[in-house]
Amino acid sequence: MPTRGTALRVVPAPVADGPRDARHPVTVGTTGDPDGNGAPDRNGRHRVRIVDACLVCLARHGTSKTTVDDIARRAGVSRATVYRVFPGGRDEILSAVVDTEMARLFSALGVRLGAAGTLGEALVGGIVEASTRVLGHPALAYLVEHEPEMVLGHLAFDESDRLLTTASRFVAPFLARWMTPTEAERVAEWATRIVLSYAISPSSRMDLTDPARATRMVETFMLPGIRALHVAGVAPTIDITPFPAVADARQTHPSGSNLGADRHRRPHAGEAT
Amino acid sequence: MVDDTRQRIVVATYACVARRGLAKTTVEDAAKEASLSRATVYRTFPGGRDELLEAVVAWATQDFFARLYEQVQGADNLEEVMERGIMFAHRSIVRHEVLQRVMQTEPEKLLPALTVESNRVRRGIADFLVPFIEQRGVAVGVDLKEAADFLARMVLSYISAPGRWDLDDPVQVARLVRSELLAGVVAGPAAAGPAR
Repeated sequence: MPTRGTALRVVPAPVADGPRDARHPVTVGTTGDPDGNGAPDRNGRHRVRIVDACLVCLARHGTSKTTVDDIARRAGVSRATVYRVFPGGRDEILSAVVDTEMARLFSALGVRLGAAGTLGEALVGGIVEASTRVLGHPALAYLVEHEPEMVLGHLAFDESDRLLTTASRFVAPFLARWMTPTEAERVAEWATRIVLSYAISPSSRMDLTDPARATRMVETFMLPGIRALHVAGVAPTIDITPFPAVADARQTHPSGSNLGADRHRRPHAGEAT
Repeated sequence: MVDDTRQRIVVATYACVARRGLAKTTVEDAAKEASLSRATVYRTFPGGRDELLEAVVAWATQDFFARLYEQVQGADNLEEVMERGIMFAHRSIVRHEVLQRVMQTEPEKLLPALTVESNRVRRGIADFLVPFIEQRGVAVGVDLKEAADFLARMVLSYISAPGRWDLDDPVQVARLVRSELLAGVVAGPAAAGPAR
């Protein structure tokens, strides 16, 4: 996709799966814009319709074979309406698709992370949610299969760094309930790396859309690592709320140091570690 | 003999790519650079240009691994292997002029090959790490192969996109290795790192 939005536009919350699957066919020709008077709320509604129509087209034909006409037809609006909402045409729509899908992913992630009662739950929930959405995304799947160069560019080197930064900035505040903001940024970045790696190259042993597998990943590799980040003091530490998930995970890690005890007294900034 | 010809063509192609990029490198250029006929190049690489470019990426990767292996020779423990390996790998990628130039100018041509290659690289790193992890001992409940694959994935992720970590700083690399990489994998306390 031609451009990528690091600054995410706020989009209306999507219906469960969005109107883009077979159960919710887009009805053609009922909510078009014959007068083309384009009131702002109507533009907003059209915006979502057009973006969702474009997603359907992408999932079937990819970017190279999707035209503005295809998108307009599927959205049930006129070509003129499409250009009124997106004066930049196809490229602008594609860019809006990226922004919208990122915002949808983040908003779903936010719900999962916000509802978590423990750090372990937050990590497992976030990893499962993100992995499921990324791997179950029809348009993304088509592009990875048929136009990999459209997707891979966002996942390599500097672009990958930007994606890590964007995702971890969003996730970190949710994790800061259990650790310092700086630690939360590192952990959020780490979780993003894990999701990306197993999404780009799926592993038969470690399917992170499976909550049991994701729990294993979090308990085996992540919680001890987070505990070690604390001990290493990647940042001046501030007071944290308890770390119940780590205490739970100790069952599987009898050899680790006891963070369950640590949580009663965390070293403060300036204190020797 | 066949291998010599193959090698000669691949090295010649790499030189062409270094000079003028992927898009402008043709089979003719490679043949000329190698002082061989076009027919010979096609006999060695029946798939033509695409097969040739894949071979170049594979060759560059092998070369990278050979040097990586040299770097970690004599390391005392798993921590040191990972520290040295990560610092070397990151440096090589950042300072790899040809890789960086092609990534800047024609990423769409390189990325598919690089992605295929990265799966091979991942398995290579995992296989490479297994004996060191075994020697060190895994934590209770950790599967050796799963752990090696996890470490390989993470190493690839960090060396290509360091994010918030400064991989030129030995102290930070030591922390990274002992927290996000090895804390859940190995048994017992980590080997001491460089002084802070």
